Amino acid sequence: MHQLIKPNRFDNAAEDLIHVKDLGYTYPDGTKALEKIDFQVQAGDRIALVGHNGSGKTTLVKHLCGLLSPQQGTVVYKGNALGEDHLATARLEIGLLFQDPDDQLFGHSLYEDVAFGPRNQGLAEEAVDLAVRQAVASVGLEDLLFKPPHALSYGQKKRAALAGLLAMQPELLILDEPTANLDPLQEQVFIDLLKNYQGTLILISHDLIFLYELCNRALVLDAGRVHHDYPLKELVEHRPSLREHGLDFSFRFADSRQQDIEAREERRNLTPDAEVRPEAPLPALVETRDLHYRYPDGTAALCGVNLKISPGEHVALVGENGAGKSTLLMSLLGLLPFQGSYHFAGQKIVAGKGRLVWQQTGMVFQDCADQLVCPTCYDEVAFAPRQFGLKESEVEDLVYNALKSVKLDDFSDRVPLHLSGGERKRLALASVLSLQPQLLILDEPTAGLDPGGEEMLLEILADLDVTLLLVCHDIFFVRELTERTLVMHRGQIALDYSTKDFLEDKNLTTLNGLDYTYRNRCALQIQELQHRHEHAHAHRHHHDHPHRHGELLHSHPHEHEHDHPHTYTHSHSKDGAHQHPAQSLYHDHSHPDHEQEDHDHDH
Amino acid sequence: MQQISLLWLLPVLLVPLVVYRGFRILLNIKADEVPQNERDWTVPQLEFTQGEGSPIHCWDVRFKLASFLFLSFMIVSLQQIQMAIVALLLALASYQLADIPWQRGGKRLLGMTGFLAMFLLMLPLTAVPQTGDQVFVFGQIEWLRFNMRGLDLAVLIILRASAVALLMEPMLATASLPETLAGLERMGVPPRLTQLLLISHRYLHLFVHEARRMQIGMEVRGFRKATNFATLRSVGNFIGMLFVRSFERTERVHAAMLARGYQGRWPQAVNFKARRADYSKALLVVSLGLLLVFCDQLLWQK
Amino acid sequence: MHISDGVLPTAVSVGGYAVSALILSWSVRQTRSDDLPKIAVVSAAFFVASLIHIPFGPTSVHLLIPGLVGALLGPSAFLAIGLGLVLQCLLFQFGGLTAIGANLLMMGLPALLAGWVFHHFKGQGKKQRILVGALCGGGATVLSALLLAVLLISGGEDFWGVVKLALAAHVPVVLIEAGVTAMIVSFLIKVKPEMLDTPFMDKKST
Repeated sequence: MHQLIKPNRFDNAAEDLIHVKDLGYTYPDGTKALEKIDFQVQAGDRIALVGHNGSGKTTLVKHLCGLLSPQQGTVVYKGNALGEDHLATARLEIGLLFQDPDDQLFGHSLYEDVAFGPRNQGLAEEAVDLAVRQAVASVGLEDLLFKPPHALSYGQKKRAALAGLLAMQPELLILDEPTANLDPLQEQVFIDLLKNYQGTLILISHDLIFLYELCNRALVLDAGRVHHDYPLKELVEHRPSLREHGLDFSFRFADSRQQDIEAREERRNLTPDAEVRPEAPLPALVETRDLHYRYPDGTAALCGVNLKISPGEHVALVGENGAGKSTLLMSLLGLLPFQGSYHFAGQKIVAGKGRLVWQQTGMVFQDCADQLVCPTCYDEVAFAPRQFGLKESEVEDLVYNALKSVKLDDFSDRVPLHLSGGERKRLALASVLSLQPQLLILDEPTAGLDPGGEEMLLEILADLDVTLLLVCHDIFFVRELTERTLVMHRGQIALDYSTKDFLEDKNLTTLNGLDYTYRNRCALQIQELQHRHEHAHAHRHHHDHPHRHGELLHSHPHEHEHDHPHTYTHSHSKDGAHQHPAQSLYHDHSHPDHEQEDHDHDH
Repeated sequence: MQQISLLWLLPVLLVPLVVYRGFRILLNIKADEVPQNERDWTVPQLEFTQGEGSPIHCWDVRFKLASFLFLSFMIVSLQQIQMAIVALLLALASYQLADIPWQRGGKRLLGMTGFLAMFLLMLPLTAVPQTGDQVFVFGQIEWLRFNMRGLDLAVLIILRASAVALLMEPMLATASLPETLAGLERMGVPPRLTQLLLISHRYLHLFVHEARRMQIGMEVRGFRKATNFATLRSVGNFIGMLFVRSFERTERVHAAMLARGYQGRWPQAVNFKARRADYSKALLVVSLGLLLVFCDQLLWQK
Repeated sequence: MHISDGVLPTAVSVGGYAVSALILSWSVRQTRSDDLPKIAVVSAAFFVASLIHIPFGPTSVHLLIPGLVGALLGPSAFLAIGLGLVLQCLLFQFGGLTAIGANLLMMGLPALLAGWVFHHFKGQGKKQRILVGALCGGGATVLSALLLAVLLISGGEDFWGVVKLALAAHVPVVLIEAGVTAMIVSFLIKVKPEMLDTPFMDKKST
């Protein structure tokens, strides 16, 4: 990773890089997006901008680079309010990475696209060339310099979009969900890149682990207001806050789920195993032998896939991007002209004729926008049953059951396009459940969901009684939902073992470079921080950060006394006794009843 | 007027059909890459990088476009089949010179077959008889007449169309699209239009992929096109969704452009420098075009 | 149906270029420069929509939706269709290089007219909008078929037979265009009604 580090042009450290004063914004339809936003950004700050979907993060960011002009208040950049000429300069110094890289890659080739910014900065063509090559090299895409953007994979596009910003040598880099939908390897590339980045950073993400790696300050938005503005560590430590702002991933550690899995495994062990007793009349639901597929350009995508999935199994399919997972799914759906034999529920499937499979398979796409084509949720869910010629009365029952099973009971008349990401994902699930499929295929179900949405989806999926094929980078979903894991690598199924073995497999990294355990380790580290105890009592507080209680917004240092939930850090010695480290400034008193209180964390 | 056997009707009807349907087989374009009768959703890459260094590749874009455009207009003005054949050979020669695989030209020809087959079928049968026309009647069917002049006309049209279609490859595939458009700009096409074309071209690829995925999403849920109301409704929803998504994307693209310093002008970096070879190549092509039309006129007057 | 090279008399091709260039420059002036990226992106969508085939009995027709583009974009529709046609010619050879002008007239004029009709008669009611949408979709196709006929006839009386066949081939297209446009309008009313509300001539346009 070579990157020229430009000396910071902004020398006056006493002055803020950005000062947002009393910013307010209301959408044309009357919804308040932002209200009374006040904060400063100093050069070198690394800020995590967090909050629920719809809390105004993206709107705020658009104000910071002048894509929206404030209706109320001002945004001051380097001492001047954004506007006119100053805005033009500011935009050349502020880089904004959009969620969807395709929005940002409008150039004809990677080179042309990355050169767009430097050329707008008025650099000479030699300097542009240098900037482009350096930026592209820093994201590791030198080999694709003259490829058109549509020839890149998703992760490559994301890096290409970042290169387009880095080439402009931005002083402030704002990234909106940079790691959504990336595999662990690509995510690591992003983390490394951003760690090396020397300027000011504002990151929007739901991914606490990612933020924890890169940021030191948290700016929490809630319903269009700044709710907290403090060191990220404080936010991470405070689980109720995380929960309140949709960042809590602790459901991932709940013990009850572990018991569920054990119970399920026990149940499975009791049921007769098809392979042990071949006379058992249980034909495999999916059985492929020596499946091959080549792309039209000759690249081999599948090189002899042998796969057998019995009814009722829950199987995970993992592997790096480009390992052939999507191609395998498309082949299983009969959408690609594959070679080899493929039987679905005992019947032979010919390439290109998948109707038999479609009737009994539900596939939830990674991007549910590709799946939602109807004007109302009802129509959406009714689409499949209608196509297979069911009577309207039957369809109605199926639709209501499907909507109910994904907890969207009252949504029949809503417009799919207007739903939130999590709701749309569940709707997409309902739209395939309405056919009561035997096999459910999920392609990256967690893509673009916040932790709250993930938790809900997990609950729904755990309750379904279908054969499941889960394609997922999220090790946690794999652990929770499946008993068997297939690792794909270079068009083949490289490993096929129980999920338990997969989770303990230390050699995976050497196979495909994916380190699935990394996230778990980070999560445990964060959980360690959360080993704290909570109680409320009156304190004298010295507030010096913007702080909101209901309608009242404090943004000046002051002292007052009130009842306040408080964290109390402890660790546990072997005998279970609490050990307390030195107390913090405002908490230098002891709590004698601490040991007897209920704990809300896992041990 | 001559009477011929009714059997002749068979080739008259079959040849256009073969042109329309069988061209694919003739060109051996593999149909098995595209399952079912589904349309091929792949959009060809316009520029083709192989064969760089050919006289056409290193020709200044402005001169190349202007000369080929002129030549195209000359070709479509030809009135004699002989000269149209010469034009087609010329086009093939330039195609060969640019070292472009023949499949690309084949696909272009394929794009026009439907339209041209219509002429091949109808012109011989419906051309208005003039004095001196050779007209055949099929057996006893008095009203169905085969006019040789109509056939000549149809063949002439097909030759002209094919020659221009083949010229498109050496004209457009030998430089990158931004270069070609920059060349057009220098020739007087407003920069607004060329920028729009560039962005359109980029997003067209994206939407083709998007549409393909949406179509798979519908197919997997059992959607099958048929001649009925439900199909109309589903396709209507599909296109409506395509437009809504594109409208929403357009706002984000515009914002992304602004955020990277776009101020209404696409930054350009193509410099043109005309050399003597560029002029002489242009002179060659233009005079070939004029020569074609000149000979054509001579033949016509004979 | 796109006219290929070599069909039209040279004078008509050149004339087509000239006339459509005039209308195009008007159309560009009617488009605010802020809207240009939008036009580019919508042209791309228009291009993709014209790749969609709908079966009609034993054959299939592919959509053109000039009526819808007119209704959505107003005066800019001519520009958008121009872009789409140029790309179709460059990439697929649908429509000849020398016939782009004529093709643009054939598709763009009906789109402009449909846009004007839609914005003057759409009213507020849902049913009315769908009906007007269907009329625009079907009507624009009828008009472009007639323009095609006029352009072909310019080649001489020998082309009458071809014209008749082409007109006959347009009958199913008209029906399907009307139906699909109505469906798209009804979809948009539910999902994003503001897309149908752009006035035909924007007073602010420069």
